[in-house]
Amino acid sequence: MELHLNNNRPHLMHVDLNSCFATLTQQAFPPLRDKPLVIAAYAQPNGCIVAPSICAKKFGIKTGMTVREGRLLCPYIIVRTPDPDLYRDAHMRFRKIFMDYSNDVTPKSIDEAILDFSEMMSTNLDLVRIGHEIKKRIRSEIGEYVSCNVGIGTNMFLAKLAASLNKPDGLDIIEAHNLFDVYNHVSLLDLSGINTRFQARLNMAGIYTPMDFFNAPREKLQKVVFKSIIGSRWYEKLRGYEADEKNYATKSIGQQYAMRIGTADPREIGRIMMKLTEKMGRRLRRQHYTSRGIHVWCMYRDYSFWHRGRTSESEMYTTPELYRRAMLILNQQPEKKIITKIGVATYDLAPYLSDQLTLFEESFTKERLVADACDQVNDRYGEFTIVPGNMIDMDDVVLDRIAFGGVKELEDLYASETVSTKY
Amino acid sequence: MHEKINERVDVITIYRKIGAISMPYKLRWNGRDHIIKALGYHHKVKEGKTIIHIFSCSSDTLAFRLRFNSDTLSWILEEVLDGASS
Repeated sequence: MELHLNNNRPHLMHVDLNSCFATLTQQAFPPLRDKPLVIAAYAQPNGCIVAPSICAKKFGIKTGMTVREGRLLCPYIIVRTPDPDLYRDAHMRFRKIFMDYSNDVTPKSIDEAILDFSEMMSTNLDLVRIGHEIKKRIRSEIGEYVSCNVGIGTNMFLAKLAASLNKPDGLDIIEAHNLFDVYNHVSLLDLSGINTRFQARLNMAGIYTPMDFFNAPREKLQKVVFKSIIGSRWYEKLRGYEADEKNYATKSIGQQYAMRIGTADPREIGRIMMKLTEKMGRRLRRQHYTSRGIHVWCMYRDYSFWHRGRTSESEMYTTPELYRRAMLILNQQPEKKIITKIGVATYDLAPYLSDQLTLFEESFTKERLVADACDQVNDRYGEFTIVPGNMIDMDDVVLDRIAFGGVKELEDLYASETVSTKY
Repeated sequence: MHEKINERVDVITIYRKIGAISMPYKLRWNGRDHIIKALGYHHKVKEGKTIIHIFSCSSDTLAFRLRFNSDTLSWILEEVLDGASS
């Protein structure tokens, strides 16, 4: 049966900060404003650009390029490394502004959020006016150089699409009456969730434009194009119905590290793994979880990739428990090649019940109490005040970074805010 | 160009009742006085229990990143920028 367009009044607002990391840096340092600036993981030719400024984008510089590639497009770009504390502070301020307008605010990443007004739609709520007010407040309360895009729609997909129509500093609304007009002016790749791989699949099925996509029957999308329920969800999303889940529960906690110079030295790799598991363990304990699974992956200098995950019966909570399991897996690599990127994640999470009795109460309980005590010392005197012995002299390795497009880190940030207010 | 400094510096601060803002007014670095004309951003960082205030501010020609330790009441000039490519 054909599904008609969603004719309801739009109730979702997507707010997206323009070139967030670069704009906040330019807000902080006025001499950098209106200049081609990039935020790169490392300020070296091979460093990956994580955020170009609006001016840098005009030169064709894009996220994911290396600094070297950026310099080929604009020889005088300014390169800075990320300032995670600045971005986190700005995120908390945005969130505070959004919470003044809706009780239902879902962060989508450090610079994006969805505001749901569905509970207030019985009143004469003017979302366009609220959108303009939020823009004004961001400028006055965070900084005059900080701008955002606001999109309004009947589902998260259309709200995000609306927010991308007029960058930077736009405000757009997509409703049933202008939906086709929008679809006629964008490409498949402009739709959130369609990457080049999905575009190729759609093309193979004779779908070349968003209007072709809209007109494709549900069965074709489900059985031919996506070969899963995802096709059916796209059919609903394109018509303005909600098909995406707003909140994703934390299923895993992970850390990764890209090395400036690769290494195959087992001692060095062990030290990096210790720091990764310590950071991962801190996050696991801060969110009051235990875990049963560990997944380790390595990217080698020859661009080959290896990974392995293992689940066990006993729960892990302390850093030594996580580290031992991770190293056991890491030692199963078939070849000892030069590693350039390494990552570890823990999964199969369960709430930590500190008062649960175990058969091995004595040793387990003591280790966990020591872990909690060490965490309290680090909370009080600063991160890495107490560290495992093989992490000595590792201050400049595995630096603090903001994860791309993830909300897991934000849950951790909110958890740490809650912890800090206890003092 | 930007340069990491990480030196203790002399700072005079000012408190403005409008907006309830405390901010650096003047800093002395390398024997020269710099009058702060604008505060670009102020945020706090927790180092354990200690609160560190980071002031990103600018004079007519330079931008500074100043760090105020609320425990020891000390000022450190972390970085200086002039907006040119390095």
